[in-house]
Amino acid sequence: MSFLEVFQYTRQDSVIHRLDPRAKLFMSIVLAAVSLLFLSIIPLLIIFICLVPIIGAAKSLRRWTRSMKGLSVLLIFIMIFNTLLSTQPNPFSHSVALTLRLVALMTSFSVFFLTVHPDELSQALIQMRVRYEFAFAMSMAMRYVPTLGQEAYAIMDAQKARGVELDKGSLLKRIRNIVPIIVPLIIVSIRRALSIAESMESRGFGSSEKRTYMNVLKFRKRDWAVVIISLFVLIFVVYVRLFVQLPTWMLWQIPV
Amino acid sequence: MILLEDVYFAYDGLYTALQGVSLQIDDGERIAIMGSNGAGKTTLVKHLNGLLRPDRGRVILDGVDTKHYSVAELAIQIGLVMQNPDHQLFLDSVEKEIIFSLENLGSSKEEAKERCEQTLNSLGLEGLSERSPFTLSGGERKRVALASVLATEPRVLSLDEPTIGQDARQKEKLAKMLRGLNEKGKAVIVVTHDIEFVIENFPRTVAMANGRIVADGPTNSVLSNNDVLSRCSLTRPQLTETARSLHSIFPEVPERLTLMDDLEKVVVKVLGGG
Repeated sequence: MSFLEVFQYTRQDSVIHRLDPRAKLFMSIVLAAVSLLFLSIIPLLIIFICLVPIIGAAKSLRRWTRSMKGLSVLLIFIMIFNTLLSTQPNPFSHSVALTLRLVALMTSFSVFFLTVHPDELSQALIQMRVRYEFAFAMSMAMRYVPTLGQEAYAIMDAQKARGVELDKGSLLKRIRNIVPIIVPLIIVSIRRALSIAESMESRGFGSSEKRTYMNVLKFRKRDWAVVIISLFVLIFVVYVRLFVQLPTWMLWQIPV
Repeated sequence: MILLEDVYFAYDGLYTALQGVSLQIDDGERIAIMGSNGAGKTTLVKHLNGLLRPDRGRVILDGVDTKHYSVAELAIQIGLVMQNPDHQLFLDSVEKEIIFSLENLGSSKEEAKERCEQTLNSLGLEGLSERSPFTLSGGERKRVALASVLATEPRVLSLDEPTIGQDARQKEKLAKMLRGLNEKGKAVIVVTHDIEFVIENFPRTVAMANGRIVADGPTNSVLSNNDVLSRCSLTRPQLTETARSLHSIFPEVPERLTLMDDLEKVVVKVLGGG
């Protein structure tokens, strides 16, 4: 599951980390939208080449490379299956483009998730007029992902101690072996959710409609700059996509 | 017999948990492992059944290095009950839960049924066999988890914090049951902070601090040693405290006492009785 690392916040001090989460959200959405507008290898490669320096600026290149390595098996699968099953005139070229698009999409969103702390995310949502109960639920969900992982390991240990052999037997048996892991995991999570809810209510969560916050996000010049540049990029790309005939070298396909 | 030879272990290769632990556990012993939070107690018992494997050093069961066995193979001989019962209960009745363990370790259906009944009786759970574990109280779930391991009759039974959430009566029952197992020749190892429970029921205590064993010996001498107590963040047992106060008035009362019987004898002597 190492490819999920690109969606996990890392504490760093970088230009990207210091940006306002709302600006970053806008930037990520624009980047993702741009990668969805094209399905040819060259334009997607250009987008990809623009994304790498952004990840670099977030000081997360190494983590990103590791995740992509973890993802490579899946990517190769996608490529093979698409090539075999596609109805396109040039299936291989098409599936390479699809794979590139997936990587570009993941990378665009990873810029956001890598650099936004869950607390910042919920604060951003609240300042975007989301009710704080929902924002809180969302940041709690993010906060408890690693805890859930640890819990899963503890449960595996407890079941192994009872003689469950998780990595032995036929495929069917292995699938059935998931039951003793999943059921306790769900039950423990529900129990924890209930007790967190109780303890939050005991501490007065939800007692007042309006909540005040210690840290309030503020848009600064550089955040406006990011938003404006992203907007221009979006307008430009949409314009190109709709009204400009791409030169033939841009539509190049891998010869089969 | 289990032998730990100079065992080192670090979580993720970074967070040192055990630093050179050597320990011998003979058949039919009752051992308590005590120590402050994060001393490495749980890490140590997880090495016994192979859930964790030493980075350095060896864990030897009857002369064979346990690295040659899988956890499931070791589980037949070495039972481990973890702290949180919710990590192992997943079926919809107490009975099924216990039979599941037995079937994993290769019991026949009739045998499993019979052992299940025996175990439930010995833990005071007989009325609950049809209930769903999720509707039971915390203390009851804890006992069901214990029952699910106990039913497999391992040669060595290790329990991580079994007394948490149990009232005095249940603790007494637990102690009685552990002693009963012990009389049948099984070794019992308990990780706990419950000093009174240890003094009353465990002849040998291993005290740990910072991933090392700081004391290992007869419980009354380990737990009356001030240095050990402070290194393991334990408070003196009430009885030792009493003995100390008595000592300041009657010097003939020894300071380091942990057992009721010994205190009684000394007090009777001081008071001039037979």
